[in-house]
Amino acid sequence: MAVLLSDNSNMMMNKPADTSRDASHESAIDIRFGQVGLVQVRIRTTDPGVILDELTGRIATAPRFFERTAVCLDLSALEKSPDVAEVRGVIDAVKRAGMLSIGLTTGSLGVEALSGALQIPVLSHFRAHNQSVPVVQPPVPQPVESAGLPALMHHQTVRSGQRVYARNRDLVVTAVVSAGAEVMADGCVHIYGPLRGRAMAGAREDTTARVFCHEFHAELVSIAGVFRVFETIPADLAGKPVQAWLDGDKLNFGRIGG
Amino acid sequence: MTEIIVVTSGKGGVGKTTTSASLSCGLARRGKKVAVIDFDIGLRNLDLIMGCERRVVYDFVNVIQGDCTLKQALIKDKRLETLYVLAASQTRDKDALSSDGVRRVLDELAAEGFDYVICDSPAGIEKGAHLAMYFADRAVVVVNPEVSSVRDSDRILGLLASKTQRAEQGNGGVKEHLLLTRYSPKRVATGEMMSVNDVKEILGLDVIGVVPESTDVLSASNSGVPVILNEASDASRAYDDAVSRLLGESLPLRFVDEPKRGFFARMFGG
Repeated sequence: MAVLLSDNSNMMMNKPADTSRDASHESAIDIRFGQVGLVQVRIRTTDPGVILDELTGRIATAPRFFERTAVCLDLSALEKSPDVAEVRGVIDAVKRAGMLSIGLTTGSLGVEALSGALQIPVLSHFRAHNQSVPVVQPPVPQPVESAGLPALMHHQTVRSGQRVYARNRDLVVTAVVSAGAEVMADGCVHIYGPLRGRAMAGAREDTTARVFCHEFHAELVSIAGVFRVFETIPADLAGKPVQAWLDGDKLNFGRIGG
Repeated sequence: MTEIIVVTSGKGGVGKTTTSASLSCGLARRGKKVAVIDFDIGLRNLDLIMGCERRVVYDFVNVIQGDCTLKQALIKDKRLETLYVLAASQTRDKDALSSDGVRRVLDELAAEGFDYVICDSPAGIEKGAHLAMYFADRAVVVVNPEVSSVRDSDRILGLLASKTQRAEQGNGGVKEHLLLTRYSPKRVATGEMMSVNDVKEILGLDVIGVVPESTDVLSASNSGVPVILNEASDASRAYDDAVSRLLGESLPLRFVDEPKRGFFARMFGG
């Protein structure tokens, strides 16, 4: 196989649940740091014909998934370092297949020079999954196996700057979670007290995990990487017992006990 | 049994040194043998507040490095016989401190029969603050009724509960007390300032004292006389109450309500 496709994404917060943007702009430009999932294309040949053929074949099974997708080219699997013209040919073939090359990965010889010549950035080495991802649909997140493990109990106040993480199980906190504190679990997060900091459940892509708290004042809630920041807390949730759960891509919040 | 008390806060400028000076004097006034140590290496000011800045020959770092004995470095207070000050070095910085060195000094103070050792912590959460709190038995966390101070104190409380010798050895942990300083009942009444209850709710601790905002504190620093020794000042009385509570007495909080103006004062102003 001449082309290897793989996906990588950041564990905790890879996409915001609510994409409404603040409409008031004071300056012409806002510069922010974000994290995105990126498709990596590792090539074993620079022959544009072969590349185009293979890509077209793969994409045909899920055209929408790949349409104008940003990809990063990994040249490390090539037998010898390619020259600028060859890489231009590759980028062109990838473009004709409908995808846009926006960077080169580090780790291959001469990549800096190529980056300069082609005017595309070098992106840091990915921690990519090594098996190829089935192209037909996005990868299915595996719910974490937390059968049998009792919940991690935490009975002291979680102070600002402290972080509590329950690996492979639920977390139960029976005290306050202060502003600036973080409580996380691979399973559910239960807080029998005020939540003023951040709560992150389903830390390893368990989309069925939930967050429960007695008194809702959270700064941020995340489930399986889908997060929402609370600049202001909606009046119907503030200070009340609230649970959060994931419905597809949407993070829902509701009063517990009606 | 020597008790080591750290006065810390996280946030700078909230009144740690003022508090260390006043608490030490308050305890010494009741006959206790007290040593107060400045851990803010490089930015020393305990000696200024205590009024002994021109008598510093040897400092804390000198003792740790063995340049002199502890007795040579301790400065006896001129007003209170059982009070001693160990100043910080001004020419070095916090890297000159070592955990071993601090432990040896504290052990020696215990051997000398001191009842209380007050450790005046620098602001922040780095080495100086860490070493000031590490060997403590009790902590007085100084808080201003103001959001950043409260947030920083929360952080410090977290560190007290986890990064101290007592926490690591499971010896029951460091006993934590909150001291609210620069409190203005008038501003609390108008809703501008956080109240004692607001702070208690966020930090989850009872206060050991509330010290009102007072112009006497500036005068005290300028003259090198800790404010608790100024009998006419409200701040002095509040600190004295705090000392009593530290020693186990239970007293009602003063200076938390707006002073009620009498009929004539309201009619004729003043």
